[in-house]
Amino acid sequence: MSSNCRSGIMVSIFFVFYLTYLFLGALIFSSIERPEEIRLKDELRVLKTNFLNRSCVNSSSLETFLEHVLTANKYGVSILKNASVNTNWDFASSLFFASTLITTVGYGHTTPLSDGGKAFSIVFALLGVPFTMLVLTASVQRLMHLFTYWPMGVCQMKAGWSSRTASKVQFVLLLGVVVVCFFVVPAAIFSAIEQTWTFLDSFYFCFISLCTIGLGDYVPGEQSGQTLRPLYKITVMVYLFVGLMAMLLVLRSFHKAADLHGLTSLFHLPKCEEEEEDQEPIIDSLESSELDREALPHKQLTAEPQTSYNSINR
Amino acid sequence: MVSLKFQIPTTVVLSLIYVVYVLAGGAIFWYLEGNQLEENSRIFDRKKVELLEQFSCIEQHALENFAQEIIWAYKSGVVFRGNRTLHGFWQFSTSAVFSATVVTTIGYGDISPTTTSGQLFCVLFALFGIPLNVVVLNRFGKFMLSIEQRTSAYIGQKINRRKTARVAIAGISFLIGMTMFIFIPTYAFHTFENWNYHEAFYFTFITLATIGFGDYVAGNNPDIIYPFWYSQVVAVWIFFGLAWLSLVINLCIEMLEKLSTYLKQRQLDSLENKTIEETVEEPDPAEPREETSASKEDPTAPTCS
Repeated sequence: MSSNCRSGIMVSIFFVFYLTYLFLGALIFSSIERPEEIRLKDELRVLKTNFLNRSCVNSSSLETFLEHVLTANKYGVSILKNASVNTNWDFASSLFFASTLITTVGYGHTTPLSDGGKAFSIVFALLGVPFTMLVLTASVQRLMHLFTYWPMGVCQMKAGWSSRTASKVQFVLLLGVVVVCFFVVPAAIFSAIEQTWTFLDSFYFCFISLCTIGLGDYVPGEQSGQTLRPLYKITVMVYLFVGLMAMLLVLRSFHKAADLHGLTSLFHLPKCEEEEEDQEPIIDSLESSELDREALPHKQLTAEPQTSYNSINR
Repeated sequence: MVSLKFQIPTTVVLSLIYVVYVLAGGAIFWYLEGNQLEENSRIFDRKKVELLEQFSCIEQHALENFAQEIIWAYKSGVVFRGNRTLHGFWQFSTSAVFSATVVTTIGYGDISPTTTSGQLFCVLFALFGIPLNVVVLNRFGKFMLSIEQRTSAYIGQKINRRKTARVAIAGISFLIGMTMFIFIPTYAFHTFENWNYHEAFYFTFITLATIGFGDYVAGNNPDIIYPFWYSQVVAVWIFFGLAWLSLVINLCIEMLEKLSTYLKQRQLDSLENKTIEETVEEPDPAEPREETSASKEDPTAPTCS
């Protein structure tokens, strides 16, 4: 009974902390961005008055036109007449869109305009989002053996470390490798390809994409005259998928390390699953699977914390 | 002697099916949306030509530059509508909604930090906020689940039929959840935002799936005057809706696992029967009987404490 009470208290503490965190964040965002916004408003007011003064357009028809400009822009139609037509719906871009949809990144730089497109998005995502989670989980489980359990085992045998130390070292190393390979290097590449992006902008983009937040303020391949645009989009798509796997891997290594240090039971968080238990994969590939366990991936379905929203342990 | 067929790892099969799924989706979107875009482009071009013809003193180049500036300002949250002074995006209430969308990974993108320090802070904020969000949602989902379980246990005891009570309560709570988090919000957005029903439903779905395109965002329309409680209620809905959704997903996973165990048991039983038959036909003491419940002994792999 007391464990229930404690668990209930933990929930409340977490919730209060969460609200405080949100409010503090709001305050800080507001104080950083508001002055910039005010400055921009003034600038724009001046620009508009100048334009109206010089030309014969009356205010209302200009505003109607501008509304159309903004609506068109939302749908990806550019105002510039001579801009090379960057259609948002050629095959590579549609593929890119489909991948941002089911990974829940959802940039929003292009969105389905037609009713059929919207309805199909819902259906596609309804199946696709769980499917993505399944694929990611299954892949990460196999990768864990290669990147987490095997190095930890090696460390323990060769250096004679305890499992706790091994897990800490392994996690830090993995984190370093992932940050370099999936954040620093891609950020450098993006800042070289995209002319208007600085290194920090690209890093920000990588982070926002791989966390599946996907604000959409930076989207690669959207500038006019982009060479090899289809190939570029598809490469970014692959980067997204592999990056998500890497993030999940890091998260699970962290969970493993935290578990070994007893942090999960301290905060009443879900424990990591027993990786030695043999469980048949949910989709049995062939009949004689029981006899050859080595070839089978151990597909565990107990939920672990992921960057997505399902993580209730049984 | 049981023949060993070539084993394709399930993960590879799964990944292949996934790739096909994404490709198929891309093709279908290409088909559905390609035509719509052309039509919109034509309509817009016509309007531009009309304006330029109507007011002959405007030079096309100047107009295009001006329009680009407007677009850029719009993306930063500054909207022009006559002489009305608009509040802009970075007041406290809208900033709170922004931090909520970052932390839940919805990320509409209708507003986003434009300053470098804002972006850096966003990265740091998300780094700690997202795990925190996952943990809190987790706990809330568990809390809702425990309520449902206790109710079903209580009722099961009362009417002395545990299983039916469990199934019935599960069904009812699912329906209640659907109504509270999907149907009622759809109706509410239809009313408050003047969207169609399918637009409102599309927005509800895209938000709760944390996809968050940002083509529709509640509370964003500068022409509508919202009640003072509007953005707070929307935030509450998002939070509890996400918690409920995570609960539903985990229950589905649990059901799938039970199904898998059941099927595995049946397979095991049939395999045992087959092996028994074979040993009767062909006495072969070298044939090992596999037991799937035996765990692999691996002393080097760390165990969970």
